[in-house]
Amino acid sequence: MKTIDAKNKDLKSVNRSLKESLNGQPVVIKNATHIHGLAAGLKHGEVEIKGSAGDYVGVLNDGAVIKIMKNAGKYTADNMTKGTVIVSGSTEFGTAQYCYGGTVVIYGDSGDFTGTMNKGAAIIIAGDVGSDAGTYMLKGDLIIAGNAGDHFANYLIRGNVYIGGTWKSLGNNTKIEPMTDADIAKLRAYFETYEIDANPVVFKKIVAASEKPFYK
Amino acid sequence: MAVIGAFCVSVNKEICLNARMPGKCATCAEVCPHGVYALDRATGEMEVVNFNACVGCRICTEFCPENAIRINPAEPEYISRYPWTFAAIEEVHYKSQTGEYLLRGFGTHGQTPNFDMITVVPSQIASAAPLDKYREECDMQVVIGEDTCEKPVVLKQPFVWAAMSFGALSKEAKMALAIGAAMTGIATNTGEGGLVPEEAWLARGFTDKEMTRKKHDPGGYLIIQWSTGRWGVSVDYLNSGDAVEVKIGQGAKPGMGGHLLGAKVTEDVSRVRGVPVGSDALSPCRYYDVQTLDDMKRMVAFLRDVTEYQVPIFFKLGPSRPYADVAACIEAGADAISIDGLVGGTGCSPDIVTQGVGIPTIACLPPAVQALKDYGVHRKVKLIALGGIRNGLDAYKAMALGADAVGFGSAAEVALGCRVCYACQKGNCPYGITSQKPEYRARLDPIEGGKRLANFIHACAEEVKILTMLSGHGSIKDLTTEDLRAMDLNTAAITGLKLCGYERPLPIWDSMMGGNGGNGHKKMESKKVSEER
Repeated sequence: MKTIDAKNKDLKSVNRSLKESLNGQPVVIKNATHIHGLAAGLKHGEVEIKGSAGDYVGVLNDGAVIKIMKNAGKYTADNMTKGTVIVSGSTEFGTAQYCYGGTVVIYGDSGDFTGTMNKGAAIIIAGDVGSDAGTYMLKGDLIIAGNAGDHFANYLIRGNVYIGGTWKSLGNNTKIEPMTDADIAKLRAYFETYEIDANPVVFKKIVAASEKPFYK
Repeated sequence: MAVIGAFCVSVNKEICLNARMPGKCATCAEVCPHGVYALDRATGEMEVVNFNACVGCRICTEFCPENAIRINPAEPEYISRYPWTFAAIEEVHYKSQTGEYLLRGFGTHGQTPNFDMITVVPSQIASAAPLDKYREECDMQVVIGEDTCEKPVVLKQPFVWAAMSFGALSKEAKMALAIGAAMTGIATNTGEGGLVPEEAWLARGFTDKEMTRKKHDPGGYLIIQWSTGRWGVSVDYLNSGDAVEVKIGQGAKPGMGGHLLGAKVTEDVSRVRGVPVGSDALSPCRYYDVQTLDDMKRMVAFLRDVTEYQVPIFFKLGPSRPYADVAACIEAGADAISIDGLVGGTGCSPDIVTQGVGIPTIACLPPAVQALKDYGVHRKVKLIALGGIRNGLDAYKAMALGADAVGFGSAAEVALGCRVCYACQKGNCPYGITSQKPEYRARLDPIEGGKRLANFIHACAEEVKILTMLSGHGSIKDLTTEDLRAMDLNTAAITGLKLCGYERPLPIWDSMMGGNGGNGHKKMESKKVSEER
């Protein structure tokens, strides 16, 4: 296992070292809170970030498994296409926006606009999310074990939003549907895989009321 | 206001095939995007049922096998009935009947301040002698990103194709643009709709995916657009081009995101964009993953990182506050900034936005140039003018106003055969340029289209050379506002150019420039944009 100390280093230097080090061995990065865009665009490998990470960590991830051992900043796992991003703590505004695929797991809470324009990823938040989570979702799953803020799943177009707790207000173009056995099995599999203490039976499922919600 | 009630449609029944043999021909009804003609299916007779809807595109006259149709401008109603012209009345009727506002394609129509009221000043005895276009050389090359990345873009001519997405355009049109770019050494742009795979190798001049068989010299460049909808965006997508363009806005609808209506989201478009078939692909008006200028700097930083610091970063702006917006792009780390004026085109936009939002291209350039000068990066961070550039004359004027290159969007579509019917959003383009329907797409041969585009670029390049050299310059880099004069007060006031006959800028500019006259604004703010936020 290779360790990269990011102290006093810049994005270019750290990400270059990281790419050079990803040769089958997991790589540990420490002291990287000041780096924004850490582990950007990786296509393979395992990365463990000791402590917290800055903004845009795991942006454009295309196959790597990236674990952040504490908290992460804004726009975590932005525009991910493949792979996995796991945050042991909480994340800020705009987690997992514009994702096409892969899995994002946040064990703590996540900020506003989580999962905006999700186009196919599985986004799992074990805690609470802020307002506007799931805005403009086109595909994929957004799973919230805790509570959500205002405008939850606002202008949902396609895809599934699941929530174990409650929301302050539901967004436009949404409707609540009964959980199916397949939904429960899917959530149970996620929770077992990522060791999240939640009971899928109590979850509610939100889908789009219409696939064309916009007044053009 | 839509272009309605402005044209008279007349069909010569003596020669019209349908009039002589009902049912034998319905071409005009098939090709008209606005339903001016209707076929009576029972009798086979064709009638002009809605002549008020004619926008004067004359597609019907081009397709009519008997040359039986004439389209002539109606009386100038804008003079006699303004403001309650027929078009204004029809617009109110449409809204009151449907509850919807008007959507349309293409760009602004009608009079706006433009390049036509600027004239070129030839060189004579009082300035450097003119150069001989036929016997001397003229440097037309533009290099973007030479100090910031490993592989700068080296445009052989000072032109790019404006960003137009797959979805808005057909695959054949995208391929033609790529071929045209390869044949002339300029750059094409994916637009925000993802990458048509063929674009990547065609733009570089190759005919195969592996890029082993080069056909078109000198080969061009592919600009990859990164936008608010992020359609079809991945790390592979970003690395498939020669530059990345961060789209902030566009001329036809500044402050709004892209509109691709579900009717045009076919299986092919769905695959490239990564959105479900038939769903409207409406891009957000802003980046959800950028809230501050610092975020934008970080975005540029990771875009450079995932492209291995190989390619330049462009920004594309709509016409809003050019000085401050260009300053922000400079601070964010742009290598080139495209600024798209009011007249810029689009595949679909609310009519009121296309007509009434934003400022003209000629008004964008002076403050944009001044921002570059104030930051000490004019001619280093390249400025690309977009919006209503139709020919080498417009291009020359834009470059003399301070741009390094210009982009053609609407003109490129016209070069492919477009007749400007303002109905791109409907998906029924009879020339196959903005349609996804196989029967229309089959009419556009990408290779022939590419040749037409290359011809257009060659002609415009020659025009720019003529004007540059008769102004006494051997390089487009040497063009200045001294090579231009405004021909009316408005244009002099907007641009700061010297007024013909008066031979100096208007007094309002004199005071701003400390009596020096010339291009641009006085340094507007001592504080940098980042300090204001």
